[in-house]
Amino acid sequence: MSDKPRIGMISFAHMHAFSYLNVLLSMPDVELIGIADDDTERGKQVADEAGLPYLNSEEALLERADGVIVTTENVRHREKVLQAAQAGVDVMCEKPLATTMEDGREMISACREGGVQLMTAFPCRFAPAFVEARQMIEAGDLGRILAISATNRGRNPGGWFVQPELSGGGTALDHTVHMVDLMRVVTGQEPVTVYAELDTVYNPGLEVEDCGLLSIEFVDGCIAALDCSWSRPPHYPVWGDATMTIIGERGNVAVDLFREHLDYYNNNDQSYTWAGYGETPDDDLVRAFVQSVRSGEPVPVTGEDGLRAVEVALAAYKSVEHGGLVSLPLQQ
Amino acid sequence: MINVAIVGTGRRGSRHAANFAQIDGCRVKRVYDIVAANAENCAEPLGAEVASDFGQCLADDIDAIVVVTPTDVHAEYCIKAAQAGKHIFCEKPMTRTLDEADQVVKAVAAAGVKMMVGHVLRFSPEYQTARQMIQEGQLGDVGMIRMARINLMPGGWYGDLPRSGGVILDMIIHDFDWLLWTLGRPERIYAHGLYEQLPALDYALCTFRFPRGTVAFVEGSWADATGFRTSFEITGSDGLLAHDSTESTTLVAQRRGEDDEVDGSAYLPMTPTSKSPYQIEDELFIAALENDIAPPVTAQDGREAVKLALAVLESAQTDRVIYYA
Repeated sequence: MSDKPRIGMISFAHMHAFSYLNVLLSMPDVELIGIADDDTERGKQVADEAGLPYLNSEEALLERADGVIVTTENVRHREKVLQAAQAGVDVMCEKPLATTMEDGREMISACREGGVQLMTAFPCRFAPAFVEARQMIEAGDLGRILAISATNRGRNPGGWFVQPELSGGGTALDHTVHMVDLMRVVTGQEPVTVYAELDTVYNPGLEVEDCGLLSIEFVDGCIAALDCSWSRPPHYPVWGDATMTIIGERGNVAVDLFREHLDYYNNNDQSYTWAGYGETPDDDLVRAFVQSVRSGEPVPVTGEDGLRAVEVALAAYKSVEHGGLVSLPLQQ
Repeated sequence: MINVAIVGTGRRGSRHAANFAQIDGCRVKRVYDIVAANAENCAEPLGAEVASDFGQCLADDIDAIVVVTPTDVHAEYCIKAAQAGKHIFCEKPMTRTLDEADQVVKAVAAAGVKMMVGHVLRFSPEYQTARQMIQEGQLGDVGMIRMARINLMPGGWYGDLPRSGGVILDMIIHDFDWLLWTLGRPERIYAHGLYEQLPALDYALCTFRFPRGTVAFVEGSWADATGFRTSFEITGSDGLLAHDSTESTTLVAQRRGEDDEVDGSAYLPMTPTSKSPYQIEDELFIAALENDIAPPVTAQDGREAVKLALAVLESAQTDRVIYYA
């Protein structure tokens, strides 16, 4: 491979694709080979604006690529990742990795058999506050981790996110996986039980749940709670949050990953919003994927990591269905 | 003139004593503590008598007993007070066990005395306003209610689970009472807790499911060294209402010491109002006695809160979902 890995993007269905594209465009050591999209009009428009080629098929993109980023609707992750695996192309897949355990397992084994790397797009791992908290915890500063209270709250994203045939689920699937991934990292443990309360409250008539609270216990007894609700009003000053309070035997650490902001009061539309500044965790996420494509070094967040997080979200649905605690790993 | 006797003169008991002493028509006549020096320190500035045994607090010249002892002896003092015909103000939680709560309710009813339990959030303006806005429908259908009460482990008997019930029974019972007051009983409960870490620390993560889709989450911490704070966030189909005590601080004072070092201890008023909720609850108790009306928080309310807190503790200890209502 040349020094400049050839990276392509598959689909702009997910809004994170635009952020990933901006990171790739800013990287001089990447050859951005183009965009494929099931939605031709959307794909062409994005390609035109970015000054990139639009390719009529994934096959054409995969033929030339060393790595691709898949940002389709959730239920289409499987199909695109399997195509990449067959073409021998490394792939970073948007979260949630899959909408069923079967799909996820198939994606992981196909990538293994195809000799390609599968990375799950978990940007929160790369947020500076989390990186620093993780270092403190791994250095033993907090002792054993006893409890975690987390939130990943947002607005109702609308669109295909609230169509279960495309999203696979609502807020529990959308907003559980990030924080469960971080919990697995800081505890170094796997979850063993999940209890959940889910409901549709904020948007009556929505086909998916928009309010959710998960209680999770890990192998070593660490207890955790996670609020995954789409509870931010449409005019809330920021999209949402990702927070964790971590209680250790010897100390606590609290992270609020997207807290840095400027208060912005705009006279023209009478709005108040948080103006972000600095880098976004997407910068280091995309760079890490490109680095793994270039060097062949293992990706820092694997497909297994992605599927473990999905499993907790699926367990939450099962808990609500059966009205009780669900043990992990999920039975077939 | 209503004469009260204070039983238990630790930090909270001394505060109640000072509050009652300020109320017109009320006199702190006598104080009692198993540690005589504590009772003397409390009594002296108020001009109160020090009782050498609890029986002296049940004398004819006393109208009401204020119980501010460790939780596990609340029932004993409350029952004796009721049997002696004394009205009772008791700090939360009303009792350590549900059986004790039943006995207190029975003794109070049998004696025909009035009893109030110190569920002080009912007199905190931020919590009153939130309840009112929910009940007026200003938030629409309520989805998630998040409540947090964060502090350091207070030490002493609080660290003894059989005496205090830990952070669940002792501290976040405040939030449980507010939920009962605002929404009624939950349908089911699931909780996790670190009570086994006592006396070093305690921490609890509690989930409540209420009718009509409302989910409440209460976080209680006796593991935080950054200072006492409370918060809540209520989200509904028509809006979001949030409170954080660290962001509603209207006065911060720092003292410079002899050596010109700034004393980092800040003064955080619980509420930016002229009367503290503790003062208000004490005044309302005296007013209930003067006007011969039911106090705003009754023994039955105290029992409800104890019952719910014990169910939360049971869920945490057994790792089971408790179907409640």
